[in-house]
Amino acid sequence: MDLGFIITNAIVLSCIYGTLAIGISITWSSVGLINLSYGFIFAFAGYGAWYTAQFLSENGAIVLAAGILSGAFAGIVVCALAFIPIHDKPNFNVRGLIATLAISLIGTQGLMWWFGPRSKNLPDIFGSWSVMLGDMALTADKIGNVVTSIAFVAAVVLWMRSSRRGLEIRAMMMNPHAASIVGIGVRSTGFYVMAITGGMAGLAAVLLSQTYYISPFGGLTPMIKGVSIALCGGLGSVQGAVIAAMILGLNEAITSVTLGGQYVLITQFILIIGILLVRPRGIAGILDRAREA
Amino acid sequence: MSERAAVLRVKGLSAGYGPMRVLHDLDLVVHAGERLGIVGLNGHGKSTLFYAIAGLTGWQRGSILLNGVEVGRTRSQGPGRYTHEVVRQGLALIPQGDEIFHGLTVEEHLDSGAFTPRAWKERAQRKARVLEIFPPLHKLMRTPVGRLSGGERRMVSIGRGLMAEAALFLVDEPSLGLAPKIGKGVMDALMGVDLGQSAMVIAEQNVSLLEGRVDRIIGMHVGKLKGEAGASMSLHTIREL
Repeated sequence: MDLGFIITNAIVLSCIYGTLAIGISITWSSVGLINLSYGFIFAFAGYGAWYTAQFLSENGAIVLAAGILSGAFAGIVVCALAFIPIHDKPNFNVRGLIATLAISLIGTQGLMWWFGPRSKNLPDIFGSWSVMLGDMALTADKIGNVVTSIAFVAAVVLWMRSSRRGLEIRAMMMNPHAASIVGIGVRSTGFYVMAITGGMAGLAAVLLSQTYYISPFGGLTPMIKGVSIALCGGLGSVQGAVIAAMILGLNEAITSVTLGGQYVLITQFILIIGILLVRPRGIAGILDRAREA
Repeated sequence: MSERAAVLRVKGLSAGYGPMRVLHDLDLVVHAGERLGIVGLNGHGKSTLFYAIAGLTGWQRGSILLNGVEVGRTRSQGPGRYTHEVVRQGLALIPQGDEIFHGLTVEEHLDSGAFTPRAWKERAQRKARVLEIFPPLHKLMRTPVGRLSGGERRMVSIGRGLMAEAALFLVDEPSLGLAPKIGKGVMDALMGVDLGQSAMVIAEQNVSLLEGRVDRIIGMHVGKLKGEAGASMSLHTIREL
């Protein structure tokens, strides 16, 4: 029972963290922003969903949509504050990092001041049924989390593959210089990217709130996990991030069974260091068959 | 030539990167329907001239009129920030070294060249036209560009430029890094493009590839345009420019 329980938990968590990691990965490779304010976007989206549940409706779909929309809104705000004013200045990478870190610190303190330090609880958005698989109970929130995150990521990837805006973003991810040559506006693309990745963070926030509570600083751990998955998968690669999320999720499950939960972070970082030593570009380096430049 | 409308009118253009000044108060006029060659050695500012027109240099000042619209500006930073607006005014830059999107397929790559709203609607016809010019791309449409050979990449890069709804095509060293025979084929394709009311400027080190096939050849030397000759002049004369 233990093993099955841990593995299903690991799958659920890797789906959620993977969603966040793909957002971080897309942001970094397309607009060149190491966005450290995802923790804030995450918490903000959680509170947006909570407000909706309190004052509007406890309907699962509405709460989920509210989370995604408030995440997208926070993403746009971060873009307007930390990307638009400085993206064409020298040392943008470092400046962007510091600016987003500042937004994260100020933003989370703001949430703390407004909502107080007490954690909030979201309603069960997927209901409270469960399916028996052998002798293991798969609860509604687990199935819902996995299905929703995969569906959302798949929709985003499909949109990026088929639409004009998606082509714009992918072109930016591969060669920002050439993208400006063909007439792609960096600023408008930045808003699209940040809104979509903010929405992904919002989705992750609502999904994770089915397991944990919402708190002003609750976005920090998911962001660290997301960044490490994105690094391990190779920044800019969606497939890489998916595989990395599965590997790290599996590692989490195996470590907590064999060594104990307190060693998870240790084995996780040993694994990431190992992968990056062999493949400095992350898992994407193995997948990529196209020559760069 | 002078009664034709000017597609590009550059006046007093200086540009460079950081403390380095590459272009020195340069003037240039390109007329509609004209094919112009710019020859000059490496590092004398051919690419910088193209980049300055596109707003991609580190800094620049001077006037650049593209179809009568001022796209030049005095700026000290922000390379590429306004490039998409210049492109919307009708510029198609085919850069040196291809600047491809290595993970996109050839087809997506051609689509990305048609980014102005009207070109995007007509992209099927435009693709067919590019494939007429470069037939070898037909069977490569679904291949990622990063897996193509140098000559094929150059075709994709030029094809992407030709997809645009442009008044001015700037082609930077189309034969660079290619085998002579393939380079000549690429040049033939460029000469075969029907310009209509648009104009094309080709920067090239190899004068013999341009000679007799473009309307004018201008020499470029340490950031200035030096002299001018009809393309029919002998190779000897042009070298003395």
